[in-house]
Formats: sequence, C-alpha cells, structure tokens
Amino acid sequence: MVKVLHYLNQFFAGIGGEEKAGQELLFIPGPVGAGAVIENELKGHGVEYATIACGDNYFHEEEEKAIRAMGAALERFQPDVFLAGPAFNAGRYGLACAKVCSWVRDNWRIPAITGMHEDNPGTQEVGRHVFVIQTGASAAAMRESLQRYTLLVERLLAGNETAVENFRAEHCLSIPRRFTVRSDAPDYVRAVNLLLTKLNGQPYESEIPRVEAKRHPIPNLTGSLTDATVALVTEGGLVPKGNPDRLESSRGSRYFKYSLNGREDLRRGEFEAMHTGYDTSTVDQDPDRIVPLDAMRVLEKARRFKKLHDYYFVTTGTGAMPSKMEEIGAGIAEELASSGIGAVILTAT
Amino acid sequence: MVLITCLSNVAAQVGIGRIMGGSKFHYPVGQPELPPEEELRWRVSLMEKGLTALETPVQEPKIF
Repeated sequence: MVKVLHYLNQFFAGIGGEEKAGQELLFIPGPVGAGAVIENELKGHGVEYATIACGDNYFHEEEEKAIRAMGAALERFQPDVFLAGPAFNAGRYGLACAKVCSWVRDNWRIPAITGMHEDNPGTQEVGRHVFVIQTGASAAAMRESLQRYTLLVERLLAGNETAVENFRAEHCLSIPRRFTVRSDAPDYVRAVNLLLTKLNGQPYESEIPRVEAKRHPIPNLTGSLTDATVALVTEGGLVPKGNPDRLESSRGSRYFKYSLNGREDLRRGEFEAMHTGYDTSTVDQDPDRIVPLDAMRVLEKARRFKKLHDYYFVTTGTGAMPSKMEEIGAGIAEELASSGIGAVILTAT
Repeated sequence: MVLITCLSNVAAQVGIGRIMGGSKFHYPVGQPELPPEEELRWRVSLMEKGLTALETPVQEPKIF
C-alpha cells in the first residue's frame, strides 16, 4: 500500500478558472483530474490517493497560510510520495509546484515530484532533491507527462536507485544551482574521498554538476577569402586605455566593439587589457599580442582577404557562467552576421 | 571561425571547429623575446596560417 498526495491548482482540480484563483487550500480525499490517471496506472500497487488544491493567486498572496494548511493535510494523510502539477509553462502554477515540493522534501523527507517546461519560472525555485520532470509547454503534453510521473513513482516504489537515477538523467530537468546543505564530513575529507574513489576506478559523482557545452554545427567559408571581410574577436579583455565602458575584469556580463578604422597597429598606452585570468603585462606592452591588428593589416594590403572589419569585439572570458558566455557569443555572432562578415579570427587566453 | 588559444584540448572538447595553438597562454599572438620587426614577421606568418585554416573545410574539431 502506497499513499500518494497530489497538489493541483484550482484550474486542474476542476474548481474553476481565473475567477477561482483566490481559492483557499482544500483537502480532497481521492484523486482529481490528472491524479485519476496516475491512480489508475498505479492500481496494481494498492494505492491510497488524496488531493490538495489551491488557487494560483491564493498560494502566492497567502503563502504562509497555504503552507500551513498543506502541513495539516500532510499530517492528516501521512503520504509516502508527494506529487505536484504538471504545470507545463504556467508561471504561477509552476512556482507554487516548485515551492510546495521543496517544502515537502525539506520538512517531510519523502520523494517530491513535479513537472514543468524548462522555461517555467518555477525552475528557479526548485530546492535540492526535488524531481522536476521535463514536460511540454502546454497541457497538450498531459498524457505523456503523466506517464512519466507514473514511471518515476513505480521506480521509487521498487527501491531501485539506479533506475531512479536513470530516470532523472533521461526525463528530469537538470537544474545546476548551488544549495547550502549540512554534510557529515568537511570539504577536504569529501574531496580526498572523491579522488580516492576515482583513482580506484569506482563510480563517483562530483558535488558540482558539470555544465556540458552545447554542440553547434561548424560553419565553413562560403566563397573565397579574397571576397570576405574578416573580423577580429577576443575574450582577452582588451579595451581603450582607461576602460571607458567599464568592461568587467572577471565574470564578464557584456561585450563591446571598438573601432580599428585608420589604425595600423595597436599601441602601448592607447589600449590595455582588463582580465583577472591572465598576466596582462605583456599584452599591455603591445596590444597586437592579443588583437593582431598589425599582422592583419599586412595581409589585408597583400589582398590575402578583402577587408578587415572596422571593429574588433571584446569580452572577458574568465570566471563567468557558461550560459552568460553563450549569450555574449550569440550577441557578437548576430552583429557580425548582420554586418556581412565572412570569417572570424578569435584569440583566447 | 578559427580560434587561437593555448588550450587546444579544451577547445576541441567543447567542439570548436578550427583550432590553432597560440604562443603563450597570456599572449597567444605575441613573441615578446623577438625584436619588434621579427615579432611582426612571426605574427604575420601565424595569421597567414590562421587564414589557411579558415579556407579549410572541417566537419569536426581540427587542430591546425
């Protein structure tokens, strides 16, 4: 026998639409809506199902009261598993699902499962250990989403940790955020243990989730270089002396472009590098060592390519979030593409 | 695009198409020990190599 408690908003609980968004939290014995589908799938396990439902606005306006009422419902029903949603791309609902699941996981130590689309703002509020099943953006994805809820509950009931972790890898959103947690051993002990596990060829998992770089297709030159404008880009932080736009020297969040028009080389004292990731003194002595303008002018005059772009682009590639760097890269690429640039030389430290 | 860096392996791991080894981590297109004219000559030849890399079609990360 397994006891499942399922959180829904007023809409998915069939209470009403926007006019019922102020609905207080209700305890309903038995499954409702999506819950009925999951209960039916789980029948073979002997399931006792109950629902709590709450208005989207009520939860956010009266969060403390809603959580208190939810605590009372948990006390009364004593569930083994807690479900919420799926919220798809509904923002208020997604936030509520994330918060109730996080609260349940932290206070009741039972598995808490929700589901939403990756763009749902609720993903920002999800606490540690909550399962967030990836769903489509709308209720059109309901059936498939509920199958995933059922599959995860079954794997949890079977107590097969590998199967649960496989499910997490395949169907859950990976939410790389940092949490403060209490641990049994200090960091240096955990680090050495992790290293020993690795050296012994045992399976191990880092405490810091690895952010995988997205793969992009590799573009090839269309046509000949003699017809192409070539642009220089760098992550080396080279800016005009005095850093007029205040480019960050670390954890860069912006990029800039500076004119090369009328310049034959970059002179000491006119440009300087803002970058805490490398010793900038050699570049400051001759900025062509990071943005090779002098050499490119020689090759431009020799008609090796049509023209050097009038601007070089710069950011600081140190200590930053990959997601921010991706945004910066996309911004630079878009500007280059709209200026008709045919090829790019990017220097990196 | 061609990337000039001293961390070629990292560049290949993240899937950059054209990769060229730079001179040093903190000055990928410099040779400060050379006299200025020779350093420029060296840099021109390095950039020439970069342009050749740009002209070479690639399907997967390639270190030039």
